[in-house]
Amino acid sequence: MVNIALVGNPNTGKTSLFNYLTGSYEYVGNWSGVTVEKKVGTLKDKLGHLIDLPGIYSLSPLSKDESVVSKFFISEEFNSIINIVDASQLERNLVLTIQLLEYGKPLIIGLNMSDVAKHRGISLNEEKLSEALHTPVVSIVARTGEGCNNMMNYMTSLNTKPVEQLTLNYGKDIENGIDQLLSILPLEDIQHLPHRWLALQFFEGNVVIRNYLETLVSKELLDKLYQQTEAELKKSNHINSIAQRIYQIRKNYITTILEQSVSHEKQQQVHLSDRIDAIVTNKYLGMPIFLLCMLFMFKLTFDWLGTPLSDLLDQFISGRLTDWITILLNDLGTSQFIQSLVLDGIVAGVGGVLVFVPQIFILFFFISFLEDSGYMARAALVMDKLMEAVGLNGKAFIPMIIGFGCNVPGVMAARTIEQPKERLITILLTPLMSCSARLPVYALFVGAFFAGHQTIIVFSLYLLGITLALLMAKIFSKLLLKSETSIFVVELPPYRIPQSKTLLRSTWDKGKGFIRKAGTFIFGGSVIIWLLSYAGPGGLGVEMDDSFLAVIGGLFAPILAPLGFGTWQAGASLLTGFLAKEVVVSSMNIIYHAPNMDSLQGLLTQAYNPLSSFTFIVFILLYVPCLATVGTIKKETGSTKWTYFAVVYALILAYIIALIIYQGGKLLGF
Amino acid sequence: MSLNELKLGESAIIVNLSTLNKYIKRRLLDFGILEGEEVLLKNRMPFHGPFMIEHNGQMLGIRYKEAMQIEIERQW
Repeated sequence: MVNIALVGNPNTGKTSLFNYLTGSYEYVGNWSGVTVEKKVGTLKDKLGHLIDLPGIYSLSPLSKDESVVSKFFISEEFNSIINIVDASQLERNLVLTIQLLEYGKPLIIGLNMSDVAKHRGISLNEEKLSEALHTPVVSIVARTGEGCNNMMNYMTSLNTKPVEQLTLNYGKDIENGIDQLLSILPLEDIQHLPHRWLALQFFEGNVVIRNYLETLVSKELLDKLYQQTEAELKKSNHINSIAQRIYQIRKNYITTILEQSVSHEKQQQVHLSDRIDAIVTNKYLGMPIFLLCMLFMFKLTFDWLGTPLSDLLDQFISGRLTDWITILLNDLGTSQFIQSLVLDGIVAGVGGVLVFVPQIFILFFFISFLEDSGYMARAALVMDKLMEAVGLNGKAFIPMIIGFGCNVPGVMAARTIEQPKERLITILLTPLMSCSARLPVYALFVGAFFAGHQTIIVFSLYLLGITLALLMAKIFSKLLLKSETSIFVVELPPYRIPQSKTLLRSTWDKGKGFIRKAGTFIFGGSVIIWLLSYAGPGGLGVEMDDSFLAVIGGLFAPILAPLGFGTWQAGASLLTGFLAKEVVVSSMNIIYHAPNMDSLQGLLTQAYNPLSSFTFIVFILLYVPCLATVGTIKKETGSTKWTYFAVVYALILAYIIALIIYQGGKLLGF
Repeated sequence: MSLNELKLGESAIIVNLSTLNKYIKRRLLDFGILEGEEVLLKNRMPFHGPFMIEHNGQMLGIRYKEAMQIEIERQW
């Protein structure tokens, strides 16, 4: 079994290539940082594994996702490298290629986006490029898979040949520094790593390598050597830093190579991207267009397409499917207990959530479209000024939009934010983004109390989430954490029309989690809730009001009373909502013993009024991140303290906001 | 003059980046932007919001604050 690492700049089509070669359903997006963690796939011919690493411009990392690559290079076993290179941005892409060639593993260059390069008047001679770099170069089109099999054939033959690592001469001072560093390193302990590469990465300022070397040699010794080398360099050259000198030498080398292998012709034409940008990043229209986009997304999800589909599914589940199951259970001669468990517990609970699958898939389709088209980075740009005002940067907006789909990938996407403080705040705030699992709860209540105004009420919840997130960002960045300078340099990739296949794949990839949850969490939750509602202190088959569920929910009722929903039913369903927010709907279906959504909505109008129902969904929006999100926050912050904080602040915030809405609304006479 | 004084659609050569924050400078270097390179001002957001600049066919967004620290020379 061979392990092949896939490395390249962001936005070069890495994940498309990964999907093609492994045939797996990976996640592809057209903005930096979609691959937030390394992903392993099995090659189609089953001969090895392909490891997809986050996109990087240089091995030396600035953000957490970039540091994954350097860590991989020093700590994991792999046989060879596929370096995917954007043909239209060779100067920049080859800087990374040189660092990889210096590592000295067999490497193949997959030259992608030759069409874009041709469009820009750049023509390339692959053979000459390959000759100059002493490594095979194969033209590919990652989006369609053209040339990829050819590349893999090369790859197989490559593994058997010995390789030489690329050695550039970095000049007297740096070469001296490298020699001295190698003389103090315990070389026998690092046999498995290329020594010269380690030294170069150290001098370039790669933090990961520096930390690694500090485990071998004392920090003082390394500091001294670095300063000494830098001083020598400054004396003999007019140069600011070692890193800059190294960059210069690589750049000169690249320029020489490109002179031999690339020819430019001037082409003057307005690109499609420019035309789109003239509109969507227009000074005055940018922000309104972004909001219109979002509004359109909700309109489609709730009014035009999603709701009619959900209604059809609801009719099927509560009608035909329930009849079939009833007949089947009768034929099997099952007991009353089992029948009630299946129909009132599982079908009501799981079915009540599954009816929202169409709406959730439409939402995920939209988010995938935004990611793949190149608009995401523009949204970050348009929103930067607003985000800066609250102490964050525009990049924090991307995790938040992804959070609309599901908070878990949203929290993970915060890794692309360079500053630790901004990253932490973004992680803490992403759960305030109204995720798709909360949709079923909104849809249920909004349908019952605000029919005809669905879109506007749901849109107001999303806006409330964003507004509170911005407000909390301001408070957190002022109170909790000392200020750091923010880094905001964002690449705006050319627009692409997303391929329908990729789009459907990534929609399915995101949406399947929801269906899986229905089969696990929600199934299990439904069974437990039904059992708790069936049994009580008085025995089995008791009235709902005498059940264990009523007892447990009743504990919370007095606390919730000032918010307008002080019933044991609300208390119990909120408690179960921590598992996953859509479980609230399952619980209510079971608790109110409703055969379908219509009758549940009818029953709810007796327990709530419009004001208290709105307060309830606001509380659902804010009260705690779900179990999966809490787990991800723990993993991403690496801190139990901040994980508790994320849960507790959300609870307090939810209570305060709900209190203001309910009591304020009552005063205003609603 | 500095980059923020450039008009839309104008290009200029970068002459000095030394006052920039080192992380920003590193990131710009990743895109091949350093002294001697030509940049084109594509667009700017209102209220001193970010600038969109083009360099060598790639499009980048940077903040106004940083644009002020990028010293340039207009080309005629």
